[in-house]
Amino acid sequence: MVAPEPLRQLEEEIAGGLARIPTVLNEYGYDAWGFSPETSRRVLTLMGLLYRYWFRVELHGIENLPEGRALVIANHSGQIPLDAAMMMVGSILEGEPPRMLRGMAEYWLPTLPFIGTMGHRIGSVVGTPKNCIDLLHREEAVLAFPEGVRGLNKPFSRRYRLQRFGLGFMRLALETDAPIVPAVVVGAEEQIPTVGNADALGRMVGLPALPIPALLPILGPLCMLPLPVKYHVWIGEPMSFSGNPHDEDVFIEGLVDKVRSRMREMIERGLRARRSSFY
Amino acid sequence: MEKILVTGIAGGQGRLVARLAAGAGHDVCGVDREDMIAFDDGARVRVYVLDLLKKKYEDVFRHERPDTVIHLAFVRHFKIDPEQRHEVNLLGTKRTLEYCAAYGVRQLIVLSSAYAYGALPENPSYVDEDHPLNISRTYPEVRDLAEVDTLCSTFLWQHPEVRTAILRPVNTLGDSVHSAIGRYLRLRWVPMLFGYDPMLQFIHEEDLARALLAAHDKGLRGVFNVAGPGAVPLHVAIEQTGGTALTLPESIARPAVRRMFDFGLYQFPPGAIDFIKYPCTVSDSRFRAATGFEPKWNLHDIFAQLHDQRERAAAAA
Repeated sequence: MVAPEPLRQLEEEIAGGLARIPTVLNEYGYDAWGFSPETSRRVLTLMGLLYRYWFRVELHGIENLPEGRALVIANHSGQIPLDAAMMMVGSILEGEPPRMLRGMAEYWLPTLPFIGTMGHRIGSVVGTPKNCIDLLHREEAVLAFPEGVRGLNKPFSRRYRLQRFGLGFMRLALETDAPIVPAVVVGAEEQIPTVGNADALGRMVGLPALPIPALLPILGPLCMLPLPVKYHVWIGEPMSFSGNPHDEDVFIEGLVDKVRSRMREMIERGLRARRSSFY
Repeated sequence: MEKILVTGIAGGQGRLVARLAAGAGHDVCGVDREDMIAFDDGARVRVYVLDLLKKKYEDVFRHERPDTVIHLAFVRHFKIDPEQRHEVNLLGTKRTLEYCAAYGVRQLIVLSSAYAYGALPENPSYVDEDHPLNISRTYPEVRDLAEVDTLCSTFLWQHPEVRTAILRPVNTLGDSVHSAIGRYLRLRWVPMLFGYDPMLQFIHEEDLARALLAAHDKGLRGVFNVAGPGAVPLHVAIEQTGGTALTLPESIARPAVRRMFDFGLYQFPPGAIDFIKYPCTVSDSRFRAATGFEPKWNLHDIFAQLHDQRERAAAAA
């Protein structure tokens, strides 16, 4: 089967980007965390289709991503963590040089068949402090969402309001002396509008969250597919912090608030800059 | 020259360690339940054929007065009742520790296992030695791994006069060891779980023997992970060793393995399934820093040896 020209071109671009990522691979083509450029090429090409033709992502400020270790901190939204995937694709397609963002995944991600494995193959790791420290020491760029599921599954009425941030990322940045790169995704909030969460039911079926999509009565199960919203990803300038990584929460909270306020400004600016959710 | 006593000397790993230690000019003796007639080249070491739980075991310490003990005598299969396995491993270790303290042994090296950390979804990719030993949470049939390790760690602090090193190696493969991973990879149909493909680390048995000796030579004290040349996804290990993967959904595999194990039809308990589902990979930076240890066998050669062995076995059958 001959792939259509745009798909082939996209695959070539992804492969070209991956080839320039200085990852140490073993003789079977895997890095020490299970990342595989070969599998990534295929998975990220599919994600690239979403990136280019569905969400028509506009990536601003990728040049702000510094060389060497960096902790990219972003807002989480849209029920399905496609924001992470789009940022990963973007930094490979548009980074100069291309960078791989190593996503810090929720602890339950590896329990999901295929999705957990695929996550590892495209460079994500389980979001434990140890993994984050190891990766930063290897001069990798780590992508984390300190709001976690709180941000991901918030209802439409709370869109673009940053939820409470975990403090762990700041302690890890201080410990590894890694710059924090604030990043925001504007657009993902509208991809699956929800009215709330059926938490009790979710717990019964073993899910961390069970969002109730607003379009459920109209679209049925199709309501879990993301709408063709337009994504804007804004990468901010790196922020450096210093201090004792084991300090009291109050002190760490102060530093985290600086990142959070910067991100709030970036979101507001991003919202003002866009014309509509869809184009 | 030192006198080294190897427990479990007739086992695959025991023979390798004894050979290496004797080659380095040490006076080597050993205990095991089976006799080790001789090495392949005819060289002999003194072997006391006895049970670690019997009184005669103490006589060996009384009589030989070893400088160093390398403790490898563990039951690592399920051919005997799990309760009996637990007793043999725990009590055998307890006795060994007691005699080490009582008979002036200067150095003790214990072969624990990285499996003691357990294979759990929230494991970091590179577990270090401070990580809790979680094996019993999901794999109670081998909780003796964690208990032996803990017993020895306690001994390490209580008896500073005995330099104690606990090594926790990853999956060990080779011609002579009988490891769980080796038996798994030699199966006619190698089971995998649908949608799961965890990273696995491997070390060759000869490198593990060298690591045990390195722990002795450097006089290590403490707990050390020992990893081999690297990690690959499970499916790569199966492919490279010439196996045929049989991919099953977990909902079928788990109950099937449980029933078959209960009836003695399958050698792996259901808890073993987590090791083909989630990673249990470790960081060996502490051991490498302390000893300068580098494995000689790379992944390709480790797999190739098992691959050849499979083919020979198939040709013979």
